[in-house]
Amino acid sequence: MNPDPETVDPIITESDFQKFREFFYRKTGIQFDSSKRYFVDKRLVERIAATGTGSFRGYFMLLRFQVNGDELQALTNLMTVNETYFFREEYQFQCLVGSLLPEIVARKTDRRPIRIWVMPSSSGEEPYSIAIYLLERWVGIHHWDVEIIASDIDTRILAQARQGLYSQRSVQYLPPDYLKRYFKRRAEGYQISDDLRQSVEFTRVNLSERADTRNYRDFDVIFCRNLLIYFDDVSRKTATETFYDALLPGGFICLGHSESMSRSSSLYKVRKFTNAIVYQRPLETP
Amino acid sequence: MALIKTQPTPESVTEEVRRHPRDCAGLLAQLTDPDPTVRRWAARDLADCPDISPVLVERLHQEADVSVREVIVTTLTGLGDAAAVAGLVECLRSEDAALRNEAIEAMRQLPDAVAPIMRGLLADPDPDVRIFAVNILESFCYPEVEAWLIAVIDHDPHVNVCATAVDLLGEIGTLAARESLLRLKARFANEPYIRFAADLALERLCES
Amino acid sequence: MKRILIVDDAATVRLYHREILEAANFTVEEAMNGIEGLEKTLRSPFDLYLVDINMPKLDGYGFLRELRGLDLPQAPAIMISTEAEASDARLAYAAGANLYLIKPVRPNQLLIQVRLLLGEVCP
Repeated sequence: MNPDPETVDPIITESDFQKFREFFYRKTGIQFDSSKRYFVDKRLVERIAATGTGSFRGYFMLLRFQVNGDELQALTNLMTVNETYFFREEYQFQCLVGSLLPEIVARKTDRRPIRIWVMPSSSGEEPYSIAIYLLERWVGIHHWDVEIIASDIDTRILAQARQGLYSQRSVQYLPPDYLKRYFKRRAEGYQISDDLRQSVEFTRVNLSERADTRNYRDFDVIFCRNLLIYFDDVSRKTATETFYDALLPGGFICLGHSESMSRSSSLYKVRKFTNAIVYQRPLETP
Repeated sequence: MALIKTQPTPESVTEEVRRHPRDCAGLLAQLTDPDPTVRRWAARDLADCPDISPVLVERLHQEADVSVREVIVTTLTGLGDAAAVAGLVECLRSEDAALRNEAIEAMRQLPDAVAPIMRGLLADPDPDVRIFAVNILESFCYPEVEAWLIAVIDHDPHVNVCATAVDLLGEIGTLAARESLLRLKARFANEPYIRFAADLALERLCES
Repeated sequence: MKRILIVDDAATVRLYHREILEAANFTVEEAMNGIEGLEKTLRSPFDLYLVDINMPKLDGYGFLRELRGLDLPQAPAIMISTEAEASDARLAYAAGANLYLIKPVRPNQLLIQVRLLLGEVCP
């Protein structure tokens, strides 16, 4: 008797794996070496089942030929860690206070505030992390005003960010004294202090809408982590061109750790600092 | 000094917007403004003006600033009309490698507009244009793509055009490509690369 | 072991060059365009670069110009292209290539040139 196709995992051959790996690398910039085979296979099997495609071949054709790209997005979600929590990818905040801000203030010729744009805001962990980092780890905060604007396309998540209520899990990597200083214990978890909530401006922005982004200008630093990887090629290119005009010449963009500007735009200079690779709008246009 | 809260828009920007009228005639004038920022915003906003592709194509060839060029190409991609595509095809013949590659990327996003001229591109006398045509096919989600690629490896005399087609067949090819891949290996029997690429593609062919 | 970076947007070409070089005991990494090539170089520079010309986002000429402007010990670069015009070779050398080869490249030809440029055999 033939085994029931519903209960048997589809077989992914070495050749299938290679073919998938090259395609996924081209589309997302994420490279899996053979040591990730089990991780990749497990997720492919999961999506083959979820899509009812039955085999790697059927699934790969769906992934490859689907015009709206929904399946690629679903798979990318599975292949990347999508959690957000305080001080996630902290090395970039170290880079911000240790390298980027010193370079920015050294170049500044006026006393206007330093402007930081966080896109997407998501539920607020990232903009608040940056605020805390600046207050705790950057001596320059005594000499400079800093504006933090955090934007998202989703108004519900923005409301959540403004409220600033977080679970134990979300704050677990914060040093205990920071938790004490910037949060209030609530029955439901931890709430960001009023002072800090007042220091971040939350706005709704659709990055693909010219009318939404037109007024976002004169930023020194943009954090855009783990967003572009889910965009299709055109949206990603449009977004990075938008960021180019939102930045001051010499301004920086920080992307997520598995992301690269190599899928988006050639307009930025790749800069290596002690803690991170960061992209810079050239001081003079090439 | 401290963390302070303001609005996204500094006041200077609203003044600037007022200074530059956003109607089509005003935007056209701004396309040659000395300030690249003004040119970039003009190239973006011209997307809303009728019959604008020929002007943008012409501008593309004159524009020296790559940041403005990228925005022009993005706008042309969004428009995707016949004039935009014709302009992009001309860029494929440019001496400027960056412009060629921008055109390839834009045409990859326009399968419906490019498909009708694809046969012509694949038969172009310039082998480089034929290679670029195969590069463009990479993003097409049509069932005909495989047949086009098979025709390339069956008939194209240029080894690198065939090599580019084999690369893509390895990803999307079905058993329909098998015989042609075997023939290609025989046709370029002295090229180790073709042997390698054809064997790899044969190994990866899908049962259709 | 000497490290080589292959910068090419065609997956099959990368794999072909990788297999040739790995069989000769080189360590190989891949990038699919010039920007990714620069990112990988900035993380950890290579002993030699194999660079294609036509690639999305940043082409081979642009990659070489940027590479030559980096504050790093300079390593040899071979430009490998489908373009057989003398003008392409001139552009490649002007951008900072040490050698210009035309695709498709034969395994022995590639290995000899790589070893020459790395100073592993005498010319």
